[in-house]
Amino acid sequence: MADADEDAVRAPATASTEPDIDLSDETQDFRFLNHLNFFADSSPSIPRRGEKDFEPNPTELQADVLSASRGAMHNALSYPRLHGAKTRIIAFYAPDGYVPPVQIDRATPKASGEDGKSSESTPKPARPLPNSARISPDACVYVPNPKGQFFKTMGQADSTSRIWLLPEEALYLIERGSLDIRWPSPSGSTEDLSVPMSLQAAYACFMGRGGLTLERYSVYTGLKRLGYALVRAPGWCDDIQQQDADALGSSEITPPKIHGPGLAGMLASLFNWIHDPHSTASTATGPIIGTGIHRSYMDVYRKLAIIPWYDPVTAPERHPFDTTPPFRVVFHIYKPSTPIKKSALPTPDFRIAVVSTRDQTTMPTMTQLGALLESTPLDPPRGEKMDRMMYMRLRHGYRNVVMAVVDQGVVSYLRIADSAFGKEKLYENKGGPQGHKRNYANQKSRKR
Amino acid sequence: MDFQPDLPIPISYVSGRYLLFSIDAVTYLRREHHICGVLIGTLPQIPQQNVFLGLPLQLMPEEARLLVDKGVACIVDEAKAHDGMNTLLEEDRRRYLRDLESQGQHISRIQLDRKERNREQTLKKLEEKKAKAKAKASAAAAQTPTVPEVTSTPSPKNAAIVDLFNAEDRPSSPSTASTSTLPQSATVITPATSYPPLLTPPPSSHLPAPAVPPSYPLFAHLHSKGYFLSPGLRFGCQYTAYPGDPLRFHSHFLVVSYDWDQHIDLMDLVVGGRLGTGVKKGFLIGGAQKGIDEVDSEADRVGTVRAFSLEWAGM
Repeated sequence: MADADEDAVRAPATASTEPDIDLSDETQDFRFLNHLNFFADSSPSIPRRGEKDFEPNPTELQADVLSASRGAMHNALSYPRLHGAKTRIIAFYAPDGYVPPVQIDRATPKASGEDGKSSESTPKPARPLPNSARISPDACVYVPNPKGQFFKTMGQADSTSRIWLLPEEALYLIERGSLDIRWPSPSGSTEDLSVPMSLQAAYACFMGRGGLTLERYSVYTGLKRLGYALVRAPGWCDDIQQQDADALGSSEITPPKIHGPGLAGMLASLFNWIHDPHSTASTATGPIIGTGIHRSYMDVYRKLAIIPWYDPVTAPERHPFDTTPPFRVVFHIYKPSTPIKKSALPTPDFRIAVVSTRDQTTMPTMTQLGALLESTPLDPPRGEKMDRMMYMRLRHGYRNVVMAVVDQGVVSYLRIADSAFGKEKLYENKGGPQGHKRNYANQKSRKR
Repeated sequence: MDFQPDLPIPISYVSGRYLLFSIDAVTYLRREHHICGVLIGTLPQIPQQNVFLGLPLQLMPEEARLLVDKGVACIVDEAKAHDGMNTLLEEDRRRYLRDLESQGQHISRIQLDRKERNREQTLKKLEEKKAKAKAKASAAAAQTPTVPEVTSTPSPKNAAIVDLFNAEDRPSSPSTASTSTLPQSATVITPATSYPPLLTPPPSSHLPAPAVPPSYPLFAHLHSKGYFLSPGLRFGCQYTAYPGDPLRFHSHFLVVSYDWDQHIDLMDLVVGGRLGTGVKKGFLIGGAQKGIDEVDSEADRVGTVRAFSLEWAGM
């Protein structure tokens, strides 16, 4: 079927798993949205993809179907952002960024026709919070009366329990219809004339503010929509400060494991030394492995390994400011299942760098990529499964980072990992006393 | 439905990108000018998914340029335009708030209506079920099958949603007298665009036509031949070309632009050709014969574009 077209590219990667089709990869027929009931209590499920035609023909049937599709798209997109009385959350835009709370709280203008609300939104007595000093200078929207689940992972509270939102957080919430942001009320007027901010105004005001680009925002919302929690990483600002980096570095670096030889190891090296045929080995003049006694293939292979390889474990940890934008981690990402406390963030599940294809038209160089990887903490493959399966180990790598490539609104995610092929000694796997038998078993288990 | 917006359509220039916020402009440009853009916003009705996205629509600089050159659109610096919000007169603010309030009430009324109707529907269904059960019980011996009435009523909820926000007001069903119980301004709206309350910016404030990458002549050429083009990096090319609206058709070509005298690596052709054939598309390369310094304007170059497509035979 022609249906398989775009997905065929992806097929090799996912061939082993079930044919998993990413619906967001291509333009969907909006007619399917009509079958959803937006007002149902349960969350609506996403419809399956429809049939597409190969090429236009002058039939009326095709024209009708197309115009129905467009009509459905029009309807879906013109659906307004509504705030019911119960779920409405009001926020205010602060063009000058964070201002410490003043005695006369100007954050509680009465919204038009909202008499019941005003009594609730009177300021509570100022109760200093432990984290009140740490409001980002980029925050520009505050919520005087926060409620609902969104503020578990977003925003920072000040001493009067107002929650300050970063531009991307405010934009995400207004776009999904969960926040009613108001323009600041004009000074010198007695009645409340704070006008609601439109989506367009929100884009105009928040985009470009505090380093927020449309590409970063596309990645932010794209992942938020899927349930991930995103937090700005220290690499967010292009002119990153040294002390920030130090703060990050000291907390996140896992010291590389140093394993001493141990007693058995020492005995082995002594043994090796006795049988060492090294004296006769020379890459220039003679056989690489020397002409001594060779008792096992292992020794032979070990001697043959003359190409130096890179061990990611010993690579130096680098600070984010060593990296070159845009190849720099800008978001820390947490899976929906990871419990998050805003005051003490856990180790992120993923780190992501955002690249715009129109500003960066080439692949990163080895140096840029190396710096990017080394700015992430060591994450060696661990666990029973990883120990057993070599290819999983290789794929997981010792450091990893996700790169989001944004091409005019279309986002592709690439995971880049630092694999250590030199650490996987295949001859150790296959050799040994059991030799053939073990080898056979290995192959079998891998095929499964 | 075939709404015709006022021309030129203002394209919002926000932080170096080109966006559209008006649904009428989006539909119009798609229908009349084959400009699709990429939807990047969250749909408020189903916000936790990435399959269907909503406004705003992001346009490639090429698309914006094409529309500006055609005289269909103009570029507006949105950040500057929104400075006007601070100087909005009190009278205008009041009028705007009143407008929004009446819109909100209108929507609340529709929602309430629908709820009422749903309730009636369910009640009716329940009664029917009861009646059915009774009939069954009483006439267990008789073999009269009950008429399947329920299936004949398509869900009115969906129909209501579809019509809800069309330009014309639907006459609200007279059956329910629920309007009196409507709470004052129960629903508040976040509008999609800022016009009104802002006035359309004067032509003098329009920004110049967007700068475009060297691939623009090929883009414009294919567009003039009726193709719908969308960004293609995800599929390994510069643009994917669709023979019709991507809503209904699969793409036919993976497009990569080259300069006329550019040296092309044979491996690139092999790779592109194999990739295209593998996904049942042609690999299309092309470019303008004349450089920008040989002609007066970008538009003149478009006429000199030639395109070639590669297909792997015998696969």
